[in-house]
Amino acid sequence: MLGLSESTATGAASPFAAPALTVALCVIAAVGTMIALPGRSKTNALRIAGAGMMGLAFLTIAILLIVWAGKSLGSISYAYFWLFAAVSLICAARVVTHRLPVYSALYFVITVFSTAGLFVLMWAEFLAAALVIIYAGAILVTYTFVIMLASEASGKGMISKIAGGEAELPDHDGVAREPVVACLTGFGVLGVLMFAIFDRAGGLNAYGSIGDSPAMTQTGSIQDLAVYLFSEQLVSMQVAGLILTLAMVGAIMIARKRVMFADDERLAYEAETVVGPSTPPDDNPHSITVSGESGPRAKRPEPELASLD
Amino acid sequence: MPTLPEIGLQHYLFVGAAMFSLGLIGFLTRRNLILMFLCTEMMLQGVAITMCAFGAYHGNMAGQAFTIFILTIAAAEASLALGLIVLLFKERHNVDSHAWKQLRG
Amino acid sequence: MSFVLEHSYLIPLLPLLAAVVVGLFGKTFLRGWSHLPIWAGVGAAAGLSITLLLGLVSEKHEGAVGFSTVWFEWFRAGAGDSGEIVVGAGSWIDPLTSIMLAVVCGIGFLITIFAAGYMKGERGYWRFFAYLGLFIFAMSCLVMGDNLVMLYLGWEGVGLCSYLLIGYDQHRLAASNAARKAFIVNRIGDFGFAVGIMLTWYCFGTVSYFGSGLGGSDGFLEMVMHWQTHVPADRQFLVEWIPFALMLGAFGKSAQFPLHVWLPDAMEGPTPVSALIHAATMVTAGVYMIARLGGMFVAFPDSLLVVAIVGAVTAVLGATIALRQFDLKRVFAYSTVSQLGFMFVAVGVLAPVAGVFHLVTHAFFKALLFLSSGVVMHATGGQLDLRKISGLKKHLPITRVVCLVGCLALAGFPVITAGFWSKDEILVGAAQVSVLLYVTLSITAFLTAYYTFRLYFRVFEGPEMFPQSAGHHGADSHGHVEHDQEHAKHQDKPSKHEEAHAHHHNHEPLLLIAPLVILAIGALVVGVVNLPFSAGVKAHSLGHFLGHSPSFILAHDILEVRGTSIDATQLATQYGQPTEKYAKVHWVAMGLSAVISVLGIGLAFVLHLKDRAKGDALAKQFAGVANLFERKYFIDELYNRLLVGPLRAIAYLLDALEYVWDGLASLIAMVPQAAGGAIRLTMQRGYLQGYALTAIVGLAVLLWWVLV
Repeated sequence: MLGLSESTATGAASPFAAPALTVALCVIAAVGTMIALPGRSKTNALRIAGAGMMGLAFLTIAILLIVWAGKSLGSISYAYFWLFAAVSLICAARVVTHRLPVYSALYFVITVFSTAGLFVLMWAEFLAAALVIIYAGAILVTYTFVIMLASEASGKGMISKIAGGEAELPDHDGVAREPVVACLTGFGVLGVLMFAIFDRAGGLNAYGSIGDSPAMTQTGSIQDLAVYLFSEQLVSMQVAGLILTLAMVGAIMIARKRVMFADDERLAYEAETVVGPSTPPDDNPHSITVSGESGPRAKRPEPELASLD
Repeated sequence: MPTLPEIGLQHYLFVGAAMFSLGLIGFLTRRNLILMFLCTEMMLQGVAITMCAFGAYHGNMAGQAFTIFILTIAAAEASLALGLIVLLFKERHNVDSHAWKQLRG
Repeated sequence: MSFVLEHSYLIPLLPLLAAVVVGLFGKTFLRGWSHLPIWAGVGAAAGLSITLLLGLVSEKHEGAVGFSTVWFEWFRAGAGDSGEIVVGAGSWIDPLTSIMLAVVCGIGFLITIFAAGYMKGERGYWRFFAYLGLFIFAMSCLVMGDNLVMLYLGWEGVGLCSYLLIGYDQHRLAASNAARKAFIVNRIGDFGFAVGIMLTWYCFGTVSYFGSGLGGSDGFLEMVMHWQTHVPADRQFLVEWIPFALMLGAFGKSAQFPLHVWLPDAMEGPTPVSALIHAATMVTAGVYMIARLGGMFVAFPDSLLVVAIVGAVTAVLGATIALRQFDLKRVFAYSTVSQLGFMFVAVGVLAPVAGVFHLVTHAFFKALLFLSSGVVMHATGGQLDLRKISGLKKHLPITRVVCLVGCLALAGFPVITAGFWSKDEILVGAAQVSVLLYVTLSITAFLTAYYTFRLYFRVFEGPEMFPQSAGHHGADSHGHVEHDQEHAKHQDKPSKHEEAHAHHHNHEPLLLIAPLVILAIGALVVGVVNLPFSAGVKAHSLGHFLGHSPSFILAHDILEVRGTSIDATQLATQYGQPTEKYAKVHWVAMGLSAVISVLGIGLAFVLHLKDRAKGDALAKQFAGVANLFERKYFIDELYNRLLVGPLRAIAYLLDALEYVWDGLASLIAMVPQAAGGAIRLTMQRGYLQGYALTAIVGLAVLLWWVLV
């Protein structure tokens, strides 16, 4: 189905792009992300423009990639790759930039689906299925639950237009923290990685082709994967199981913890009667009790938690 | 139809790196604890793509096996981290990562 | 005997095991029964040792006798230029070893029996016995070891036990000070010893006495005969210093002048300890070492001269100080110093057989004397001052008899005591080398007889002066021991004080007296092992027996080959082959020393029993000299002025400087402290993402560095 490679060594000599161009693209993408990130005084139009800048930069990179890869056989995988890659990256950008956590989570689901598509292109059907089931099916559902549980925002928010209407957003969703440094750093890492991928991969083929391994095309990769996992990675598999068990036990332990609500004055003043693990309403970290301590200092909570910024 | 180049290893590596970087930026800029953890999942996803691509390139199963382990860790992390987030939220009624800066000691 | 040879490790191991058992369980479980494991362990070791000795004696031997057993390889170290040193833990059993073992374990066993009675009810009873077991272990390692490192192990081990036991009564300042003094003074000597061991290895490439066995030349004692061929040319200048370095260790351990000062103070320890460690066994380690390494010393005769001179000086010094001491144990302590001087003279004048002979007899009678002083102390509640006790013969009849035997032996009373024969041998040996040495030792022998009987007449004879109620818990902090088993059964829980008074009529419990009687018999008869004539036993049996020890044979061979100023035929005597000429000299010397001994006793009789006032007046007349003796030649004061004072001044100076350095160091430490504080206040803001950002920036830079 997928095009077999007739990859030549032609690409080896041609550099991907001038370093200055790479740096410039990264900077443009970084600035775009900066603008696209939610902020107090950012209008939606401005943020869309930022997203456009980011998209432009990625588009340029894609074109450079096509040019760099040179002429070769086209194949049906070609279109699918670009589709999945574009969807996954666009949605990833939306995960990062969207102001509402629920939307971020849903965009992440789309990212997961398109990543699963990429996995299929890489002959990893089992992983693709596992990714959809575990991530989209289990993890993301949990995230969504938690987002809904923990979204009774407190503190002052800002009024924003969302999905046609207006909503009050808490600061921690509506305002990004240190976008300049973070974006420059993040795209700095990407630039370095690109340089490594395209210019320093001397040991690899000029551009290696995925999917032409006889072993992978001729036998089912799921079977191979199972054999590999349960022979050579047996111990690791056991350890993975142990980790999952421990995580389950830990999650249950955390969930069983009783928490005394800071604003529940009745409980705060009857603290002496509370037996078992409890956390006092106190900003002093040293007062966070260990299990079994009764009678934490019943200090009144600070009136304004949101003024911490 | 113009001849189009085939999809190579580097294509996938780039997608993985980009996803990793975007997750990184999200982790650094978003203040919502839940979103921060979501972004770490995205970073893990980027790494998973890279692993898989290398595995396919070399024609062996190591990449996929490691991706499975990444999934394991991600699941474990999600369960624990979300539990902790709920706990913290109950305490402060807030999922802002800055609400806990007193923990610096 | 073959069993013992095969399992020689049992001799040190059993006391060690007993000590470990007592150390682990003594405080909680064994308590008052802590002596039982030690009795078992030391008793078994004594049995094995005596079996070994009897086995070796009963066999007919030709030439050298020595059995080497390697227990395990202890360690290996060093490489390159000087070669690797491989030290095995193993035993070397020959006549010398067997005699030493029998003395150490046998007398050790008797003293553990005595100690069980003497120490009863003391605080830390278990601790005392654990230390005793450890001591027997270390001492048997010392005498059994087949190389210098084993010797050193035992050497330091007995030093440690000595320290622990002197300071046994931790709460008394005098005891802990004495313990420290003993330890530190011994360190000075041991430093020399350690240097000697290192030099031996450096020059000979081995520390083993006889290598893998007899007849080879892989032990350094075997190499010493032709050391020029075995020692690399560039190291030969060091060889002659080896005996001098080793000798220093012997001087320290055996309390020879100038390092003798620790031994009298060591009497702060419990009396059984004084008897076992500071009279019978440990302090003779130096004599054993020189006898064992005889070849090394004989090859460099200058060293023997030093040993003899130091021995003679110490003998005179100890005897004169003992003249004017009033504490019973101190008299015996200085007497021990003096007698050790005799032994050093013996090994110094190439008469090691006489030295070992005197070592054995001295072990018997000095242990006996110390233990009797323990009984006296026990009865008088710690009072040992000659001026305050007198005429105890009514209260301590058995003790009086055995003490008389011990005193006679120490004084060298002719014919019937062992001390006479052994001291006589030494005098003969000295006479053959130098008349001056002979005269010095004879005078010392006279003084010895005098001060011994001064003590005896003062304590046991004359008008009765018995401090019954005088401080039952006196200097030794030693409570009255409840020994009368029958009585203990009748009374359920009598208070200690009541009982102490109830039993004044019996000051000589069986546990204390039985070892004394055995030792007394020994002090009388043990001389027969080396009589100069045949009397049922062959003449010079001990000499013939020791003559089979490779140590003695090698030393003798070196003498014959290298030659000295002394007639080789005379020397043959001292190495186990008596000659006719020797015998003639001997008879004259024997008569003289008998006369000297009796004269000394007579003088003591006149001055301290018949007319004590006269004796006191005489002391007043020569107040200057008496004071000099009484204050021990002011040697302690001299050391305090010359050594301790300056050292202390330096220590104070350094202490003051320490403040300066400390201040500087604190200043330097304040820089990172301040920097850390600044970082903490400015950069540690508690923002999770701030930390992450820092980490990621670091990652980006690192990636750049590594990948691009």
